[in-house]
Amino acid sequence: MPDSQAVFFWLLAALVIGSALAVVLLKNIVHSALYLFLTFVGVAGLYILLHAEFLAAVQLLIYAGAIAVLIVFAVMLVRRGDIRLSNLYSIHFLPALVVSLVLFALVAVAVGRQLWLGYLAPPPEEPLVSLARNFLGEYVIAFEVAAILLLSAIVGAVLIVRGRRRSAP
Amino acid sequence: MVNFGLLYMEIATAALGLMLLAWGLLVPKRERQGIAYLTAAGLLALLALAWCTRGAAGTVLPGYTIDLYSIYFKSLFLTAAFLATICSFDYVAKMGFNQGEYYALLVFATLGMMVLATSGELITLYLGLELMAITFYILVAYRLDDPKSAEAGIKYLLLGALSSAILLYGFSLIYGTCGSTVLREIGKRISSGQADFALLLGLIFVIAGFSFKVTAVPFHMWAPDVYEGAPTPITAFLSVGSKAAAFAALIRILFLGFDNQAFLWLPLVTVLSVLSMVLGNLVAIPQKNVKRLLAYSSVAQGGYLLLGIVSASLLGIGAILYYAMIYVFANMGAFMAATAFYNNDRSDEIKDYAGLARRAPLVAAVMLFSVASLAGIPPLAGFPGKLYLFSSVVARDYSYLWLALLGLLMSAVSVYYYLQIVKAMYTGNPAPQKGALQVSRGMEVAMLLVLGILFFLGIYPTPLTNYAFKAGETLFMP
Amino acid sequence: MITLNHYVALSALLFCIGLLGALGKRNAIAILMGIELMLNAVNINLVAFNRFLQPSQVVGQVFALFIILVAAAEVAVGLALVINIYRRRLDTNIEDLNWLKW
Repeated sequence: MPDSQAVFFWLLAALVIGSALAVVLLKNIVHSALYLFLTFVGVAGLYILLHAEFLAAVQLLIYAGAIAVLIVFAVMLVRRGDIRLSNLYSIHFLPALVVSLVLFALVAVAVGRQLWLGYLAPPPEEPLVSLARNFLGEYVIAFEVAAILLLSAIVGAVLIVRGRRRSAP
Repeated sequence: MVNFGLLYMEIATAALGLMLLAWGLLVPKRERQGIAYLTAAGLLALLALAWCTRGAAGTVLPGYTIDLYSIYFKSLFLTAAFLATICSFDYVAKMGFNQGEYYALLVFATLGMMVLATSGELITLYLGLELMAITFYILVAYRLDDPKSAEAGIKYLLLGALSSAILLYGFSLIYGTCGSTVLREIGKRISSGQADFALLLGLIFVIAGFSFKVTAVPFHMWAPDVYEGAPTPITAFLSVGSKAAAFAALIRILFLGFDNQAFLWLPLVTVLSVLSMVLGNLVAIPQKNVKRLLAYSSVAQGGYLLLGIVSASLLGIGAILYYAMIYVFANMGAFMAATAFYNNDRSDEIKDYAGLARRAPLVAAVMLFSVASLAGIPPLAGFPGKLYLFSSVVARDYSYLWLALLGLLMSAVSVYYYLQIVKAMYTGNPAPQKGALQVSRGMEVAMLLVLGILFFLGIYPTPLTNYAFKAGETLFMP
Repeated sequence: MITLNHYVALSALLFCIGLLGALGKRNAIAILMGIELMLNAVNINLVAFNRFLQPSQVVGQVFALFIILVAAAEVAVGLALVINIYRRRLDTNIEDLNWLKW
């Protein structure tokens, strides 16, 4: 009798891998984008299984909520021609397939040979407090750098999308 | 208690960037030229600050240590940013828009490099890397009136994001096997246990990810197109700054975290170095565009720098630090000349450089001596740099002699393609309708400065080598 | 019983699928999607290592949060570039990356 953890894991794993394959293999980019959304939701489910509830919420908000929607918007904005053939393979597809398979074999061997000394202790009492302490304690430099990074990205994205506007001399 | 006072360089740089961003919005359009001068002055002040406080040392956080090594690299980035700013004066003014944002992003890129070169902890290191990378994606695409620029931007972004994903996978495996993201901790855990297969795989991923940033063959394919499409001052800054920052971080990771895993990364780095030297130099020969030629030359220069890592010694690290600084001046000199030429003639083709010596003796001289320094011809500063790099490899082990000889041979090859530019400039005839080049006063001063430094350090390199080797030593201190 | 190896294997598979998408597609947006899959694989790895190896700490989760943040910034800039290029090249096919001289 499999435990509920295992059932959920296999269900979520099937969801994640299946929809990820659909993202890569489908030829309609709108479908790819929708399956991407599904992958993100599946990964959020895995986070809940791993007792990272806050991360799951962030995953849903940012990945599924913002990034996937942004991608769908971009797809719609630059849409043209036959949408059913909007996401074709490049000439590098076969070499890419070989590279990916070889890499997977390598990593699988590495994982298989590794004896991970895992133990399942209860997660921290208050994970949010612990996260906050890390963000503003040990990783505060990264936190501040991230703020400047977001600022630069916003400024840059607006500049680039707006394109050239000649200012009066 | 955490000593945030030691972060003064990072804080001052961030403040300068934010100030420029605000300034660009506040001042009226006519007076925006002032922003460029303000940036140059600010960067110069930061450089002076870095020099005056080079004795500062201490630990801010477990994985963030201020030492001479980091201050040396900070001065290097600030020098490069300063020269790139001077280069940008006319270039950006001619683009005529969004100047405040341009200079602010340039300063933020410098900040990213500083964090990348200082951090001894994987998360902070990654954030620094990405700050540098994302600002560069934007800056590369900044010539909004030229489709080539945006194409270079998207190409750089896609390949950059791919390489950081690979790098991150390596980081995750390292975290998984060592249980820490602090490099010194990782080093301790590794030396106490045996080498795990997953750990080695993680290390390979990390080296692959960084190879992209240092444009080592076979991860160099983005460089020529991006260098060609980007605004020339940004190309210059990208080729010296981001490469030096990636080297700083790679050296930290390899020597602090994976010192006793050298049996694995040494052959890998050797292969990357050989491929970069050979391919970079050979493919540069048929190039017709100055920026593409300098891109391949920069791939080759990355190969020479990797030799210092192969030597795995203090001598090698010091040689890298010294050569990286020289490379800033030589490469910036070459790109300054290219920018001055482009500002006048709107061309980067070598054949259009014909007769440049008669139209602008100073620009031609800067180009001549910069490429001569890149080729390592005495008495220019590149010569002692290459001498240190090659001898550090031989000093490690005589069986590496072939590597030094290969480097020498490839330097000889590089003379050939550098000479093509020189030949065009000095023997060709200018098109009759072309007059003298208009070069701004600031650019002329910077060119003279670069020339002076290239000669001074070529004849008397001791002050800089002492500084570089002292900086290298601090890396190995516990 | 689900062990750490299950999660790492799942992550490896997702990473390779993402790599296939990033290397084997023509459309710039599709390449970005592949890269997002790879980043998600990294995050699964980090969170799983965190949960199984250091359950009392949250370092892996912090790393994952930073990666999500950077990914969002990267996608924003990337899509801005795609739209910028599309506007200029209304006559050509944005899906075709051949003009990039790979």
